[in-house]
Amino acid sequence: MGASGPAPVAEVHGTTVIAVKYNGGVLNVGDRRATGGTAVMYDRAEKILALDEHTLLAVSGSYATALNIVRYLQHAFKYYRRTQLQEMSLEGKLQEIGRMIANNLPNAMSGFGAFLPVLSAWDTVADEGRIYFYDGMGARFEQAEHGAAGSGSAPIRGVFEYVTRTKGPFHKMPLKAALRECLEMLDIAADLDSATGGYDKVLPSAMAVGPSGIVKITDEQLNTAIRQVRGKE
Amino acid sequence: MMTPYDWNESVRNRMEFVEERLRSGSPVIGIRYSGGLLLVTLRGTQSKTFEIYDRIAMSAIGAPSDVEAVRIAALDFAHQEGFARSPDDVTVNRLVSFAISPALKKAFGDAWSAPLVFRGVFAEAGSAPEHDRFATLNFDGNFAYSSSFAVAAGTTPAEEAMRDVLTALTPDVPLQEALRATLEAWALGRKLALSGVDPDSEEEETSTNPAVSPWGEMEDDRAQLTTEAAVLERNTLGEVGFRFLTEDEIALSLPH
Repeated sequence: MGASGPAPVAEVHGTTVIAVKYNGGVLNVGDRRATGGTAVMYDRAEKILALDEHTLLAVSGSYATALNIVRYLQHAFKYYRRTQLQEMSLEGKLQEIGRMIANNLPNAMSGFGAFLPVLSAWDTVADEGRIYFYDGMGARFEQAEHGAAGSGSAPIRGVFEYVTRTKGPFHKMPLKAALRECLEMLDIAADLDSATGGYDKVLPSAMAVGPSGIVKITDEQLNTAIRQVRGKE
Repeated sequence: MMTPYDWNESVRNRMEFVEERLRSGSPVIGIRYSGGLLLVTLRGTQSKTFEIYDRIAMSAIGAPSDVEAVRIAALDFAHQEGFARSPDDVTVNRLVSFAISPALKKAFGDAWSAPLVFRGVFAEAGSAPEHDRFATLNFDGNFAYSSSFAVAAGTTPAEEAMRDVLTALTPDVPLQEALRATLEAWALGRKLALSGVDPDSEEEETSTNPAVSPWGEMEDDRAQLTTEAAVLERNTLGEVGFRFLTEDEIALSLPH
């Protein structure tokens, strides 16, 4: 028996993920950094994940829990669609996600495995983009314009307000403008939060969901927007 | 007590019971075309073609409740395997040989329950055409694999005649051409299954009027049915998507 006691639980987390509406749907941008304690464990983590053709989940907290839950939800939605021969309703998907978070509560309470997502969806019935966030017990809150999660989200809370007041609501912005605002906020979050990677070393991940489904924002689009944010274009 | 004679008799009776019910089933066909795999049939009110997993679809003839039982068993196996391991581990081979076939065989051999009335085609689109796979699965658990096409129809002679039509087709033709050929094969299979005629038999006449195609001959029958066609489309990245063809897409390929 060693004298050092139980091995420390190595849990990988740390994030800033941002969701904003734009004039064609909802845009998600997330940094790529994953941390364990004070160490940067990985700088290519994908935190914007497609659950199905009309639903994006931006994850924060424990990366292991997030990936397991996303994997379960992807399969659950596919299984429902294929067995029932119809899409699960948005309400049904939201309930399922809330239930997964509530089931994870004992883990979160014990100090590891906490996971909080921001969900972005294209509502095919109302024909509009929707953004929701959850609390740790699975309660769900709809956001009118924007949402964010992760350790870097608190320092930039006021920036969303500032952008809305000075540049107008996000849902009226074209995709390119919304992308620039998200990258600017990600850069601020990376400045203020050591667990957020920003866009300097590795390009962030970005996806948009609209009436025709999910579109991945290309590296070229990201590089162009980053140059504009830096004032070089 | 059940004697060996009774058992043989029971199997024979069950075979006749199922075959009789399958005879009037509208044939289903799976074929490879230039962009993926195509499944075709003509149906009544119920859909007969289903997505099973990311790259797998099925189409079947039989009693709707039995087709549904097999469909759900296939969906359960595929999704449990895909979740527990990886979607890459869900293949038609594993699905048919290890999951569904033994269950069908068991149900057929159980003299105290009704056998499943089922005969179907499973299709799996690989990342490249050389990895495509079809399977036909019968109510008694028998199965067979093929790579270019597969058929399930009401009688063996009907299936053989349909295979002859599809074997003559150049492999990997464009979608419209593949759809037209499969509809022609459907009409021939449907005609032979309903008439009970074996085209290889020398005693019976196979066609009343050689100038009229089977598709033309089956016009009255077709009027009661809807053409259903679905594809497992392979995109340039090797990813596969399942979708039903639209009425407009089907209308472009109807035979004469």
